[in-house]
Amino acid sequence: MDSVAEILAAAIRIATPLLFAALGGILSERAGVFAVGLEGMMLAGAFAGVIATHAFGHAGFGLLASAVGGALLAAVVALVTVRFCADQMVTGLAVNILALGLTSFLLRGLFGHGAAPTIRVTPLAPMPIPALGDVPFLGPLLFRQPALTYVGLALVVALLVLLHRTRAGLTLRAVGEHPTAAFAAGADPVRVRTLAVTAGGALAGIGGAVLSLQQVGTFTDGMTNGRGYLALAAIIVGRWSPAGALVACLLFGATDALQLRIQGLRLPVSSYVIQMLPYVVSLAVLAGLGRGARLPAAIGTPFVR
Amino acid sequence: MTARAVGWPVLAVVLALALTALLILAAGKNPLLAYAALARGALGSWDRFGVGLNKATPYVLTGVGVALCFRAKVINIGGEGQIALGGLAATWMALTFPQAPPVALPLLALAAGAVAGAGWAALAAIIRLHRHVHEVLVTLLMNFVGVLIVSEALQGSLGEPGAGFPQSPLIPPAAWLPRLPGSDLHVGILVAVVVVVAGHALLWHAPFGFRLRVLGASVPAATYAGISEPRTLLGVMSLAGALAGLAGGVEVLGVHYRLIEGFSTGFGFNAVAIALLGALNPIAVLPAGLFFGFLETGALAMQRAIGVPSSLVSVIQGLTMVLILAAMGLAARRSRA
Repeated sequence: MDSVAEILAAAIRIATPLLFAALGGILSERAGVFAVGLEGMMLAGAFAGVIATHAFGHAGFGLLASAVGGALLAAVVALVTVRFCADQMVTGLAVNILALGLTSFLLRGLFGHGAAPTIRVTPLAPMPIPALGDVPFLGPLLFRQPALTYVGLALVVALLVLLHRTRAGLTLRAVGEHPTAAFAAGADPVRVRTLAVTAGGALAGIGGAVLSLQQVGTFTDGMTNGRGYLALAAIIVGRWSPAGALVACLLFGATDALQLRIQGLRLPVSSYVIQMLPYVVSLAVLAGLGRGARLPAAIGTPFVR
Repeated sequence: MTARAVGWPVLAVVLALALTALLILAAGKNPLLAYAALARGALGSWDRFGVGLNKATPYVLTGVGVALCFRAKVINIGGEGQIALGGLAATWMALTFPQAPPVALPLLALAAGAVAGAGWAALAAIIRLHRHVHEVLVTLLMNFVGVLIVSEALQGSLGEPGAGFPQSPLIPPAAWLPRLPGSDLHVGILVAVVVVVAGHALLWHAPFGFRLRVLGASVPAATYAGISEPRTLLGVMSLAGALAGLAGGVEVLGVHYRLIEGFSTGFGFNAVAIALLGALNPIAVLPAGLFFGFLETGALAMQRAIGVPSSLVSVIQGLTMVLILAAMGLAARRSRA
């Protein structure tokens, strides 16, 4: 029982950075722009978070900086894909390469005089919620997590409300489904997409900070290690819905937690096969649903007035 | 058209180098000295030159395939996984049939790599065609699966016991690609040149290339002209996969002489950048690939010589890509408007 609770707690911990990135990606993709750049935005956020926390001595500045870092990279994506109508997928790949190089270069060039410095910051501590944290089994699982995990869960609800209960959300979805019609109805698809992509980048940046500030306490080259792509897969498996993405992230988190413990469990498969699961499941979801996968209808197509 | 098509990638490189120079300045170094050290490191001796050519080889091979796909507006970004599986198949062939005649063994191994890459890409094409899932998502997701299959193989039957690192045993020397005596340079670059010329001939002088270009210009027009979209898509994806698989095989047989986990990390995405830098012209993919190859070997020397981090290369590559994409997007928008 204890090990089950332990694995589930680890699953939630692993899912948190993915969740932020996936929610950011949903904002972007529901507005009609593929979010392949999540990996780079997470990395930029992880980097900016550690540097700012170290420089100003408070994690609050770090979080702010991580959002700004992710948003800046996303603004590049928005400029190139939305204004200049470049291919969204390949642009995403490009900024991922750019972020990998830029963070590694800045870390060495500005802070390490050519070598790779280790900048340590104190990881954000768990924040138990009084009373609820003492409930057996569920307490440690749900109510003794670090602060950003609660924020991530709250964001799922916030995004659901934004997308489905507000005018802004309606406009955003309209732009992602049929930008010409949205334009005729008075919305400015270029502006809406730019805002959505940039805001999504800020969320992905915070996702990176969850990794660097809450889980590791330092920045290393390429530390996101494919999590941005995994978040992309979570969006697909969750079928472009915030709640669905939450479930997918938890599922991926659980697979990863299981994978880390597999040697002890003596399962008949290797950890690599388990690591494949998120991607194989995503492929199966896409292939299984076929045209019913319900991608936002105008995703990938630029809007030209 | 051609002058402009060659013009803006060069402009993008120059602009990327200029922007990166600002970064070097910010890090307190002299950008001119840094670039000079980079150029010396890449081209300063025959040895370095050869290493740069080796580095460029898999990029050029994969890049030609990506360029052909993009011509048909088939956005295949699955090079990463196709290269990995190509390397895996080539290694398996070389380790399984060590008694094969000396000249036949490397050829067999390379063929196995090409077949594996083609198969992996064809699978993506089939999912795309039968389930109507965008090939970009399919190829992207399949990259991760392909790379993990290699790790799994190295963990299991293909791994070297007791190596302490996920790698295969050395392949028999009979399978090694011939090298220029006294250097590391292997024959791969010649294969790449042949592929470049063949790709050019295919794209501009063969019926299949014509079908690719028509399909890329307009799917309805292609259909009206009796060009089968599914067959063309399957064909060009398989071809690109075969070239990527070949690149994986060349990397194993010519550079490492064994399969190493992560041997192809970033190759597939670099190939996309190179195809764009070559303006999707197979001939121009060659200088683009060489530029990337020399950039990487030169950067390591630059880091050693004057302490400017070699990760600068990724910055230059990423920036170049972003600038070219922006220019391509703008050009396409103009022609549409």
